Amino acid sequence: MNINDPLWVKVVKQVRAWARLNSIWAIHFNSGSCNGCDIEILATLTPRYDVERFGIKLEGSPRHADVLIVTGPVTRQARERLLRTYEQMPEPKFVISVGSCSISGGVFQGCYNVGGAVDEVVPVDVFIPGCPPRPEAIVDGIIQLITHLKEGNLPPSQMKKLTEKVTA
Amino acid sequence: MNTKQNLEKAEWLLTSWNKETAYPESNRLDVLVTADDLRSAVSTLHEAQWGYLSAITGLDLGVDAGQLEALYHFCNGPAITTLKVHLPRVGEASLPTIEDIIPSATFFERELSETVGFQITGAKSMDRLFIPDDWPEGVYPMRTDFKIEQAKPVEGRYVDEIPEEGVVRGNTFVVPIGPQHPALKEPGHFEFTVDGEVVTAARMRLGYAHRGIEKAAESRNWIQNLYLFERVCGICSHTHTMAYTLGVEKLAQVEVPARAQTIRELVAGLERIHSHLLWLGVTAHEAGFDTLFMYSWRDRETVMNLLEQVTGNRVNYSANVLGGVKCDIGLEQTKAIKDGLNFLETRIRHYLEVVTTDVMFLNRTRNVGTITREEAERFGLLGPTARASGLVRDIRVEAPYGAYTRFPVSAVTATNGDLEARCVVRLNELLVSCFTLRTIVDNLPEGPLTVKMPRKVPAGETISRVEAPRGELLYYIKSGGGENPLRIHVRTPSLCNWVSVLEKAVGRQLADVPMLIAGMDPCFSCNDRVVTVKHSNDQKTWSWKQLREYGIEYYKR
Repeated sequence: MNINDPLWVKVVKQVRAWARLNSIWAIHFNSGSCNGCDIEILATLTPRYDVERFGIKLEGSPRHADVLIVTGPVTRQARERLLRTYEQMPEPKFVISVGSCSISGGVFQGCYNVGGAVDEVVPVDVFIPGCPPRPEAIVDGIIQLITHLKEGNLPPSQMKKLTEKVTA
Repeated sequence: MNTKQNLEKAEWLLTSWNKETAYPESNRLDVLVTADDLRSAVSTLHEAQWGYLSAITGLDLGVDAGQLEALYHFCNGPAITTLKVHLPRVGEASLPTIEDIIPSATFFERELSETVGFQITGAKSMDRLFIPDDWPEGVYPMRTDFKIEQAKPVEGRYVDEIPEEGVVRGNTFVVPIGPQHPALKEPGHFEFTVDGEVVTAARMRLGYAHRGIEKAAESRNWIQNLYLFERVCGICSHTHTMAYTLGVEKLAQVEVPARAQTIRELVAGLERIHSHLLWLGVTAHEAGFDTLFMYSWRDRETVMNLLEQVTGNRVNYSANVLGGVKCDIGLEQTKAIKDGLNFLETRIRHYLEVVTTDVMFLNRTRNVGTITREEAERFGLLGPTARASGLVRDIRVEAPYGAYTRFPVSAVTATNGDLEARCVVRLNELLVSCFTLRTIVDNLPEGPLTVKMPRKVPAGETISRVEAPRGELLYYIKSGGGENPLRIHVRTPSLCNWVSVLEKAVGRQLADVPMLIAGMDPCFSCNDRVVTVKHSNDQKTWSWKQLREYGIEYYKR
């Protein structure tokens, strides 16, 4: 069979989408958080909440990861490293920002070493508010991303870019 | 010797350099010395073994006063002697280094020079501490006239780079670890120079989680600060607010009701259980023992449930308010706490058996990173890391605060000082906590939960010390009589314990390093500093390519 056969291409695409959605590997980056969100993310991986039943695994290397989970306001020192971690991830990649301070700076707003929200540095697909969000909320955020993508939609961060283009 | 005699002894020791003496509180002695006499005064206290250097606080007394102040806090049980040094604000405020007398002072001195702008003379290395690399020279965030506009990033000053080429010095190679690394759950950057598999030098750069909380506290009022300091660290959030509220209540001369004090101790005890179980899991994970990791985190959910049932929150509990606590313990909670503790106690006994008998785990912990009692004292270690070496450093025992006078705890120590001893000490502490918590819920004193606090706190300064799960936590609080504090300085236990990793990594296999880091239970969000401890001689630099070719050649032979 010719690998450029349209049917074959379609099948490969479907298999790839199915595999991706069923085995999301996540990488965790702490960009200056207080640990509160980080321990809740770890709690979602451990037996009580067990996010592994959705095929989600915490991965150490950005080069193997599909999802970047960012916690904390972006400090000046961590900013470059956050960008670098994001750039090292292969496409398609998604970003989940966990916790109030990663969304707006939270309680650390106005501190001299805090740059601000995560989505000022990298495009964010899912925001999970809370200080810190409960593990159930984190699981829900991940599931929302999966269902959104399963419906064949574009990643939320790219949708935002499109609307910006249209309005501009 | 009681506290008063202890302070009198300190005053007598410092007679020759003493310019002015004050007793601001019953357990505190302030001695003014000149910058030239500082080294002699410090070495006198050190040689007489009068306590240990707990923290150095730097203050800017304001543009009008035109002076900077450095406070060297020495603690000996409940007694605190503070050496005060005044220096002019303009020009070079030079302080002599004391790192050769007390090695742990190097962390404090760097903080002093970076944030307040003291020039430390004679120090070995003055790299960037915890403020970012692109921070402009000569701008100090803790000065009173600091404006955020002054801190514009400086182009080309970004020195936080991973050696892309790989750095080889002589026959050694530098392995960069972090800030994003599978072995680290939090951001920190380490460079371990290795000769084969053996570590020959260790360097670290922190500051990825530095947010500038101490400065932010100056622009927030006393009540807002309670919630800000709760978020210094998400793991020991209750102890941070406890130190803060104890200090502010002392300044406002407010007596907290006994029931509130006891509930504070109760939440602190539950927090210690959650923190130590968390630590056990992370350490087991670093050792490759993921089964223990999953088990201990499963059981940790029991205590998280209890915390949620008592305070309403899982992580940042907000149990403390100024003047008391927010939550009460009813019959339902009492029963839940007792059931939970019974379950946890059997589990903790099981883990105690696992960490002392499992051969695989013992291979990673027994005789690894051994710290003797003398070393622990010299490094200035705190908390369980010090207690595992037989050094009793526990504020709950040395200087009981709040309800710890009513419901005392016993200090748990071990003598071996290796990672196994640290596991055993932490787990035994949990058994002590379980016992104390049961006594507390059975004998909870009756009474109100809060008393009225004034909105403005009277002028004054105080030091408040509490025992966090990781060791002694020190808050220096200064009020000018207004709605906002003048200065709050936080010294967290992890800062003092880093020495144990950097000193002990040298000479060990690289594979032991994650265990050593985990062994002190580091809390990166609490502290942010940099230190270079040991350097091998720079001989030549190799690129990755050269190294690869060398490797191929080496194995051909």
